[in-house]
Amino acid sequence: MDLSAHSKVLVQGIAGALGQLYTGRMQAYGTSIVAGVSSGQGGQTLDGVPIFDMVEQALQSVGPIDATVILVEPYRTLDAALEAIAAGIRHLVLVTEGVPPLDMVRLLYAAERTDTLVVGPDSPGIILPGQILLGTYPAELYSPGRIGLISRSGTLTHEIALHLTQAGLGQSIAVGIGGDRIVGSSFQQWLQILDEDDQTEAIVLVGEIGGNSEEEAARYIVEAIDKPVIAYIAGRTAPKNQFMGHAGAIIASLVAGWGSEIGTPDSKFAAFQTADIPVASRPSDIPHLLQQALRV
Amino acid sequence: MDLLEYQAKDLFQKVGIPVLPSQRIDHPKDLKGLKIPYPIVLKSQVYAGGRGKAGGVRFVENTIDAVAAAQAIFYLPILGQYPEVLLAEAKYAPDRELYLAVVLDPSLRRPLLLGSREGGMELEATSRQIQQVLVDGEFSPFYARRLALKMGLTGELIESVSAIAEKMYHLFLTYDLDLVEINPLAVNPAGEVMALDGKVTVNDAALGRHPDLVAMQSGDRDSPSPAPAPAGMAHPAPLDKAPGLPNLTPMLFPGNLGILCNGAGLTMATLDLVDQAGGQPAACLNLGGESSYRLPPDTLCDRLEKGLDWILQTQRLRGVLLNLLGGSATCDAVAAAIAHYLKQQRQPLSLPLVVRLGGAHAEAARRRLAALDLPRLVVMESLDEAIAKAIALSQA
Repeated sequence: MDLSAHSKVLVQGIAGALGQLYTGRMQAYGTSIVAGVSSGQGGQTLDGVPIFDMVEQALQSVGPIDATVILVEPYRTLDAALEAIAAGIRHLVLVTEGVPPLDMVRLLYAAERTDTLVVGPDSPGIILPGQILLGTYPAELYSPGRIGLISRSGTLTHEIALHLTQAGLGQSIAVGIGGDRIVGSSFQQWLQILDEDDQTEAIVLVGEIGGNSEEEAARYIVEAIDKPVIAYIAGRTAPKNQFMGHAGAIIASLVAGWGSEIGTPDSKFAAFQTADIPVASRPSDIPHLLQQALRV
Repeated sequence: MDLLEYQAKDLFQKVGIPVLPSQRIDHPKDLKGLKIPYPIVLKSQVYAGGRGKAGGVRFVENTIDAVAAAQAIFYLPILGQYPEVLLAEAKYAPDRELYLAVVLDPSLRRPLLLGSREGGMELEATSRQIQQVLVDGEFSPFYARRLALKMGLTGELIESVSAIAEKMYHLFLTYDLDLVEINPLAVNPAGEVMALDGKVTVNDAALGRHPDLVAMQSGDRDSPSPAPAPAGMAHPAPLDKAPGLPNLTPMLFPGNLGILCNGAGLTMATLDLVDQAGGQPAACLNLGGESSYRLPPDTLCDRLEKGLDWILQTQRLRGVLLNLLGGSATCDAVAAAIAHYLKQQRQPLSLPLVVRLGGAHAEAARRRLAALDLPRLVVMESLDEAIAKAIALSQA
């Protein structure tokens, strides 16, 4: 990951419902939005940002672009992402919820071959408080500081950030890896990024039920992460087989008897316990646990 | 979305996976016009597994027995589901029963081919012996042959079984499936293969681009209705169709506190915190997060008013907790929507309503609500305190 206050940013789907809502907010935070793309809207502007019909036209006009925030409809996300990769953009933030899993399989195959970072889908994006905002973060809840925050959620990430901010624990980087079942960047990738980041002193990992990304993250932390990590897991009391609003947050075994233990809260708590990682029982306990870990 | 067996087999037939001659039975008297020769098997068409063990699959030799068996199966619930239709199918004598499936591995983000040479009812006992082959990149038939070899198949079965797996993979891609499963895939003494059962789960996010599958489902007379939950059941009743709440998934619980939140993670965390604090939810509604075209963020306030309408009608309700988080603009809009909603009501609030709007930036929004000066409206900043207050008020 190579983003800073100086990064040049594209918004794909700028004239759509999400683009119109979030472009101005990102600009207000200081993010340098140099161009937008919305097919059929080329030649117009939104919040002073020039709109192009295609990504390659935007690059011809404004020069190299570091990152793109993709806000198009779910069934257009794969195409928009492939278009960005083809144009040479190597940081992709997929905000839109509900991208079909097999589209993500195709996209991630292309991303891996080009060393492209894909965040999301169903993601609030990435924020480096005080520097740059790529996505939907409400800026008021975040503050600059030394805590790395990684999460599968949107508003729950803001909730945790609020507790940190109120306790005087600002954030270096916050990222939501996405609530859909198949997402791009993993907890491990971000743990590694935060471990190498000089601005980050400790990490908060916000997981939830469903899938096995928390279990894999716990194993990875033992192997590779030196900085203190505090975990929180949402969904302990969520009913089994109930759709909670994230396609990824459901405990269900599709194949009888195969992987039936995957995704339960018990499995996740056990994984963090085995890895000796403190698990906060509520968001308001996180600042205290961080302060303890940083004092050691 | 799950397909019923006969719908799955329609798809199998389209791609050339062999299935037995069969006929859909909507009513026991349909058996009098049966076009398949006896003996046949009658199978309950429900989404639940374990049909055979539950008595939902019966072999019959003649029309009289068939009508009687069909009547019994139509009245037999399987895990609470009654069949709307049965499938009458030719009887088949397999030599061996195999297992094949294609799924997505969410952590490797690649499709997985699964197979076992001990399929049928034995599968669960031997599930640890299911073989896996990861499809890494562009599919080619050698992946299916690799699976056949890992399953321990030899000779001509390598070709015939891998050909089925290849066709299943084709279905998986074409229709955006979460799962396609054949159990059992029967092998007869001549080495021919036959899909005796089929399970297909279509990815819900992709349904919008497969109108043919949606039509298949609505072609059913009615989607099967779940039987009423046993008394004292702790799990919520899923309400797929909530009038006035398009695209939302409300949940009902046996307690007395109503909960409204925005976003899935925050909803789950709030439910956990209510449980920890000794509260018992009666109903819970996630109004939607910030990234959805189905639930556009700029219509949050509309959903909030509809959600309040819905939740205030919940049975046993003694109080409502609203936990909404967002930037200043969102908080201001939410406060205005709540004020608007409360002013519109003909009667004053009959229940305590605890509104939690977090963050210093929400000060103006909180003040606006506090200024309404309604006795049952409590406005708070801290989540823990708001939950404690809501529980105390709903138990008072």
